Amino acid sequence: MHHGSLLLNSFELHSWLPVAKLEVGHHLYWQLGNLKVHGQVFITSWIVIGLLLIASLAATRSVQRIPSGIQNLMEYALEFVRDLTKNQIGEKEYRPWVPFVGTLFLFIFVSNWSGALVPWKLLELPEGELAAPTNDINTTVALALLVSLAYFYAGFKKKGLGYFAKYVQPTPVLLPIAILEDFTKPLSLSFRLFGNILADELVVGVLVLLVPLFVPLPVMLLGLFTSAIQALVFATLAAAYIHEALEGHGEEEHEAH
Amino acid sequence: MFDFDATLPMMAIQFLLLTAVLNVVFFKPLSKVLNERQEYVNGNNTEARERQDKAKRLAQEYADKLSSSRRQSQTILSEAQEAAQKQAAAQVADAQRRLQEQTMSVQQVLEQEKQAAFGQLEKEVGALSQQILKKLLGSELAH
Repeated sequence: MHHGSLLLNSFELHSWLPVAKLEVGHHLYWQLGNLKVHGQVFITSWIVIGLLLIASLAATRSVQRIPSGIQNLMEYALEFVRDLTKNQIGEKEYRPWVPFVGTLFLFIFVSNWSGALVPWKLLELPEGELAAPTNDINTTVALALLVSLAYFYAGFKKKGLGYFAKYVQPTPVLLPIAILEDFTKPLSLSFRLFGNILADELVVGVLVLLVPLFVPLPVMLLGLFTSAIQALVFATLAAAYIHEALEGHGEEEHEAH
Repeated sequence: MFDFDATLPMMAIQFLLLTAVLNVVFFKPLSKVLNERQEYVNGNNTEARERQDKAKRLAQEYADKLSSSRRQSQTILSEAQEAAQKQAAAQVADAQRRLQEQTMSVQQVLEQEKQAAFGQLEKEVGALSQQILKKLLGSELAH
């Protein structure tokens, strides 16, 4: 786990700018009983959650028929995630999944952008450094596993044990691949997000180290773009997996009608 | 980089809590607002369409009424014109007839007076010629 930090710690020699310090693999550990958690991840995630809650409360404090300001913004966000979910899951069944997919998108999006926009590194921690919560593998794996649980839940709730039928359809030959898919889905989800965000922060950090002014700006803008796209990709794939679990293989659909 | 620990389950729980809380403070109220607005807009739309239909119907009705009354006024006008023409023609005919009568009566009177005058003239002519004759041949023929 520490090879990354060993490689990158050499940069700290010239860290005359506090924003330009690079640390990977250092964490601010909090001890809870006999459990260890990464404190810096929780600090930033609480800030992100706080932002989301404040924005939501401000938007719904006094709702108007003709929206303005923060209500307008949050309605836009809601319509965006609602359309995303509807496009993936379909008109009939998307409604109960809007909060889950929407929260995934909003949390990841705000986390990523907080990592790209807020100069966390100005805040000194005893160990480790503040960064986007999504640049910790624990966060992304947690979210990806929740997506797995969500689509299993969706499948079982709709079809009961008949959900397993989809593993041997259209032919049992594909059973190993179908099972493998259940492992690759969360793996690819979590690593895609983690890798993109961490890589972006590292690239920006390295560039800031080398050329402190102006040159890193295009890369930072690219980082903003990537961050938004990754949030979109994660939420879209989550909804697509749920849709896959929900959709029948023809005959169940017809019985339901 | 890849050290998994209790951060993972706690983050998962935290995320589920966030989903639950956002569902209450964000998704539900704003979805309600959006739906209500949609209904409001739809309701207004249908109402406006109904009103438009009604307005169109009324306009059509007025146009119909207008054209029918125009037609009516046209007929009244033409009838009146016809009546007036007839009356005028009758009056003209009457006047002509009276004129003719008067002319005729005047001519008759003239004729009578002419006859009377001729009769008197003839008488006077007889007397005058007698006198002339008497004057010319008076002495010889006077006895």
